[in-house]
Amino acid sequence: MSTGMITSAKNMLENTELNKNNNNATMQSDQTITFSDKNKKREVDEKNETIIKVKSVIPRQRQELLKWYGWGYKDSTFKLSDGTTFFTGDRYIISGKSLPHAQQWVKEIFDIDLTIEPRQPKLPSSFPSSRLPNNIKEELEKISLLSTDGVDRLIRAHGQTLHDVYNLRNNSFPRIPDAVIWPTSHDEVEEIVRCASKHKFVIIPFGGGTSVSGAVTCPANEDRPIVVLDTSEMNAILWLDKDQLLANVQAGIVGQDLEREMRLRGFTVGHEPDSYEFSTLGGWVATRASGMKKNTYGNIEDLVVHTKAVTPLGVIQKSCRVPRLSCGPEWEHIVMGSEGCLGVVTEVTLKIRPLPPVVRYGSLVFPDWESGFYFEREVAKQRLQPSSIRLMDNEQFRFGHALKMEQSWGGVLLDGLKRFYITKIRGFDPLKLCVVTLLMEGKAEQVAESEKKLNSIAGQYGGVPGGAKNGEMGYTLTFVIAYVRDLALDYGVVAESFETSVSWERALALCRRTKRAVREQCARRHITHYHISCRLTQTYDAGCCIYFYFGFKTVGFDDPVHVYEQIEQAAREEIIASGGSISHHHGVGKLRKKWYTNTVSEPGRRLLLAAKEALDPDNIFALGNMAFDQYSPAVKSKL
Amino acid sequence: MNEIVKFVNILEPRNSQFGIFKFMTRSWEPTKTLTLDKYYFPQELKKVVADSVYIDAFIEKESIRNGIPKEQLRKEVLDYLEEIAMDKKLHVIRWMGIVFLKICFMMKIEVFVNESWVLKLKSSMGKNPVLFLPTHRSYADFCLMTYLCYHYDIDLPAVAAGMDFYSMAVIGQKMRETGGFYIRRTLVGAPLYSATLRHYVRTLVAKYSAPVEFFLEGTRSRSNKSLPPKYGMLSMTLLPYFASEVTDITVVPVNISYDRLMEQGLFAYEHLGVPKPKETTGGLLKSLHKLNDHYGNIYINLGDPVSVREYIGHQLPLSAEMLKPLDLQQLSADQFKSVQDIANHMVTMQQNCTVVTVSNLLSIVLMESLTKNEALILDQVLEKIERLIQILRALGASVFENNVKSSVERILVVHKNLMKVDGKNRLRLVSSALVNINSDVQKKMKGHVLKAETIVNAIPIIQLQLYVNPVLHYLVPPAIIYLITARGVTNKEELSADYYRLRKLLIHEFFHLEKTEEITFNSALQYCVRNDVTSPTYTPGSAHALHTLLRVAVTPALRTLLTCAEVMAQCKRCEHKRVLKLVQERVENGRYHPYCLSLEAANNCLQGMTLYGALVKQRSKQQQVTYDTVPIKLEECRLLISSILPRKDVDFGNNNSVIFKQDDVKAKL
Repeated sequence: MSTGMITSAKNMLENTELNKNNNNATMQSDQTITFSDKNKKREVDEKNETIIKVKSVIPRQRQELLKWYGWGYKDSTFKLSDGTTFFTGDRYIISGKSLPHAQQWVKEIFDIDLTIEPRQPKLPSSFPSSRLPNNIKEELEKISLLSTDGVDRLIRAHGQTLHDVYNLRNNSFPRIPDAVIWPTSHDEVEEIVRCASKHKFVIIPFGGGTSVSGAVTCPANEDRPIVVLDTSEMNAILWLDKDQLLANVQAGIVGQDLEREMRLRGFTVGHEPDSYEFSTLGGWVATRASGMKKNTYGNIEDLVVHTKAVTPLGVIQKSCRVPRLSCGPEWEHIVMGSEGCLGVVTEVTLKIRPLPPVVRYGSLVFPDWESGFYFEREVAKQRLQPSSIRLMDNEQFRFGHALKMEQSWGGVLLDGLKRFYITKIRGFDPLKLCVVTLLMEGKAEQVAESEKKLNSIAGQYGGVPGGAKNGEMGYTLTFVIAYVRDLALDYGVVAESFETSVSWERALALCRRTKRAVREQCARRHITHYHISCRLTQTYDAGCCIYFYFGFKTVGFDDPVHVYEQIEQAAREEIIASGGSISHHHGVGKLRKKWYTNTVSEPGRRLLLAAKEALDPDNIFALGNMAFDQYSPAVKSKL
Repeated sequence: MNEIVKFVNILEPRNSQFGIFKFMTRSWEPTKTLTLDKYYFPQELKKVVADSVYIDAFIEKESIRNGIPKEQLRKEVLDYLEEIAMDKKLHVIRWMGIVFLKICFMMKIEVFVNESWVLKLKSSMGKNPVLFLPTHRSYADFCLMTYLCYHYDIDLPAVAAGMDFYSMAVIGQKMRETGGFYIRRTLVGAPLYSATLRHYVRTLVAKYSAPVEFFLEGTRSRSNKSLPPKYGMLSMTLLPYFASEVTDITVVPVNISYDRLMEQGLFAYEHLGVPKPKETTGGLLKSLHKLNDHYGNIYINLGDPVSVREYIGHQLPLSAEMLKPLDLQQLSADQFKSVQDIANHMVTMQQNCTVVTVSNLLSIVLMESLTKNEALILDQVLEKIERLIQILRALGASVFENNVKSSVERILVVHKNLMKVDGKNRLRLVSSALVNINSDVQKKMKGHVLKAETIVNAIPIIQLQLYVNPVLHYLVPPAIIYLITARGVTNKEELSADYYRLRKLLIHEFFHLEKTEEITFNSALQYCVRNDVTSPTYTPGSAHALHTLLRVAVTPALRTLLTCAEVMAQCKRCEHKRVLKLVQERVENGRYHPYCLSLEAANNCLQGMTLYGALVKQRSKQQQVTYDTVPIKLEECRLLISSILPRKDVDFGNNNSVIFKQDDVKAKL
């Protein structure tokens, strides 16, 4: 009996073996017949069921539409001819219009001779050769579209810092990427990252290339091949739930594409950073972006419900899609603000809102910065902020005036009357007055109610209504201002903006001290023609965001960018000393990394490096932002 | 299914003066499958589907893809829903119930149900959706479960029906009003329809408080035995479980066995390749006079309810699909595998629920006597049946029969057109009437153009085979073992290897689960040894009667398989339809068992050979299937089959002494 059992057990084993062989044979033959194909097709069909493919405004060859040497669209620039200033193209409110006040302002502030031929750069024709070995290239080409073309690599070597643009115009980048790859889906990204881990090359995630922190700039001292992972082909809306008011979107979608598609369907995301025409969803997440209308829609961290990111050690995401979670630290916030150093954000689930029926602009004029400031403080205290509320200082108000369009006689008359009322009857000093611009959204009665309340608070602080037109101008100029720098560079002026976050009670002193520090720095360097201004762009319960503009005439300096950077650094030191932060929404990148550890504390820095160790031990995403340049595999032992 | 189950004739209490009317007009408070706060009416369900996020998102995508305005697509969805959705109306149900009972009595049908199981199932209802998965052998299946539910006060199931009923006047609408909903056979090329259907079915399961019934096999099995399952409907109906919309889904396999199929004649012609007439109400009325006849018993055997949750295991791996909105959730690849697994399991459970009827037993005995060309007198037949009951019970079948003699007499009345006892008290097969094959009929033939004589000879034998088939899944494993040992085999390893290969080749003809094959093989082998079919050293035993039975059971399928292999070996590469023609031609010329002429059987064998790797199947863009041979593998399986196939073949034509020629009768009259 027992022997019988043993033999039968042995037989059973062999039978299973045989069965296995049979199964293998089955599988092989299955592959050749339609059954498995059918299955595959079925999967693809079902996966694609509700995906909305989006045609992006921005083509894969970005340079066809976008300026390769600066900001924005090719067709939109400031032009000087016959003594008048124009803004070309037809994309913005001032496009194609003559700007009669511009020249006088430029002359006055920067002392520039506009009759001199501007210095416009030529697109380089030779590039450093690609270091990507052929075998890796072939492997990558099997996954997604890949290019090693010089121009493709050059225009993805940088963001939009002054430093970047200067290097770009002079073709003086110490290092540009060795290839550009365009994955179309999360799965492809996973494959690319796996390939990178295998072959030890570096990946730089690239969205809209609008970084102003140097975060996306190609690290100069990287010996390994560098592949830029351009997310622009990952721009589909994977699903949209009109009941839950949620959309799951691939992270490469460009802000304006996302907003346009949502509006077509009666919704809005409402996230509008000044760069939203070009920046991408993934970029917003990676930098912890903030939008102009955050009062209504929230900053990116309020909008995001779920993120999916590919790191070299796997995909990080939560297993559930829920409104809130109490489950230890929120690891989603490790991805958010990681500035591309831990992995690639591939898919994001976002809140969406129904389009507001009424959108109205407004403006309020205050006799001085301080009364405008206290007005904003009061509005924040009462939590009466409309979608956007901003306060411009006097310098910025005058700069805005310089970009005003030529008007019909009626407009001139009305403008004249308004000015007469404000300066003569109310007695505001034109060299001191400040302007608050408003953007209100909602149902008609909500907007009217909000406007009434705001006007009444403004009254308490000496403010008077300044009209809707001025408000609207203020907001469109936000997008146009970015183009000014290209014009300035053409004529030897360097200009840049920087921002900070500060508590209410320290804000006034911070603005005063920072401006003074800049002025002192200029005086020390005998810079006579410069512009420093600020505005208060966001309000919170506990403080606000202050945005500075600084530019100066570079005549006589060998290395104007370096001078600019020195002055901005001094300004930042002053900001920090005044209780401000190193950034509100621009991020840390490479520009502000020297203050990083101080800001987050030493244990904070160690946590950051520990995250690197946990997610990307081989430093595939070697962008070196924040404190990540201190990471090397040797750090492992220390941790 | 060996335990004694009590079957109850549920029509019996109605067979009184006012039985029908009183029963169909009683107040009726059925048990529901779900206890809900809000119960949806059939019309509301349509609205839920039309307004769903899924349909919304799908329209959005379709509109972008085709440029068709969303409003138009929305209207299309509403039209589809009108086409699909059921519209249950109690008064119609009552009227239809009366008609149903009237017809049943006209057909002299008795419906036997394993009552205790129904009551057990009913008592567990109310917690989660229930799916009824009956076998599909006849159109009568559509009414039977519905009537059963009415009888036991269970909410009437929503029954998935094919579009052929939809186009029938009156009946189409009435079926809808008794809970039927319509599905198209193919979803290819109609993405919006398929989305609408998918969401309707899903909503029906998740939100409607009645059972959902559909046929896992997808179509009526023309051969009266199980077909491999189709996975589409089950995927749709189980989605609410995978999407965590419901806590569980109870799946109930049901076997419906018939003493006599209304469609037996049509099916026989279909096997030969003569297209069946389209269903029309007129056609149905015409066939009504045929109903005034004896149709015998119907056995509805409910199997063990299966909890999907328990079957898959409690720990559901969370799929990435859970991150999608509920409505948009689809099956992941793993979940689809589970669905396939459940479907296959369900078909085998249906097989295990088979109730072996006297029709089956009598047919097996008659088929055996035909094959031996030796008519049996009635007493021998009864003896053989008694013996057969023992054999089948030993193989795990449930035979619901107490008094064989009276039952055989009953069945001889029921099947009087197929078999009869002649003057010498011998059981004979009645030959069919001569058919008129004109050129028009010839043109319509799907396969090889068969001779009139072949058709006349084949029809009754194929019909007889239809009643042999439901029992074959018990007989095939020991039959294959016997044939291999009869050829000669050196050890158990060789035996099992050949056994597995043959089973794989025949998996479409005799559906079974591959993963339990080892158990099946071992128990079949045990049976063979115990009953002296084979000796313990794997040489043929001395149970000659059993040998004959087993040989008869599997010979037609093996012959078809061999013919397919031979045809393919000659052609090397051949289009599907042409292979079928060549196989039929070969069978006709070889005068083999007429069931080998069956196009379905040939198709099953080709699929088996493809799975085996002997053929490679390719589908052209016009959906035309072509086979290429894998010569080594093909030769291997050809040799294997011919080594075990019994060479002895009897004449199944007019000269067979068991066949009773109808023309003789007419001549005499």
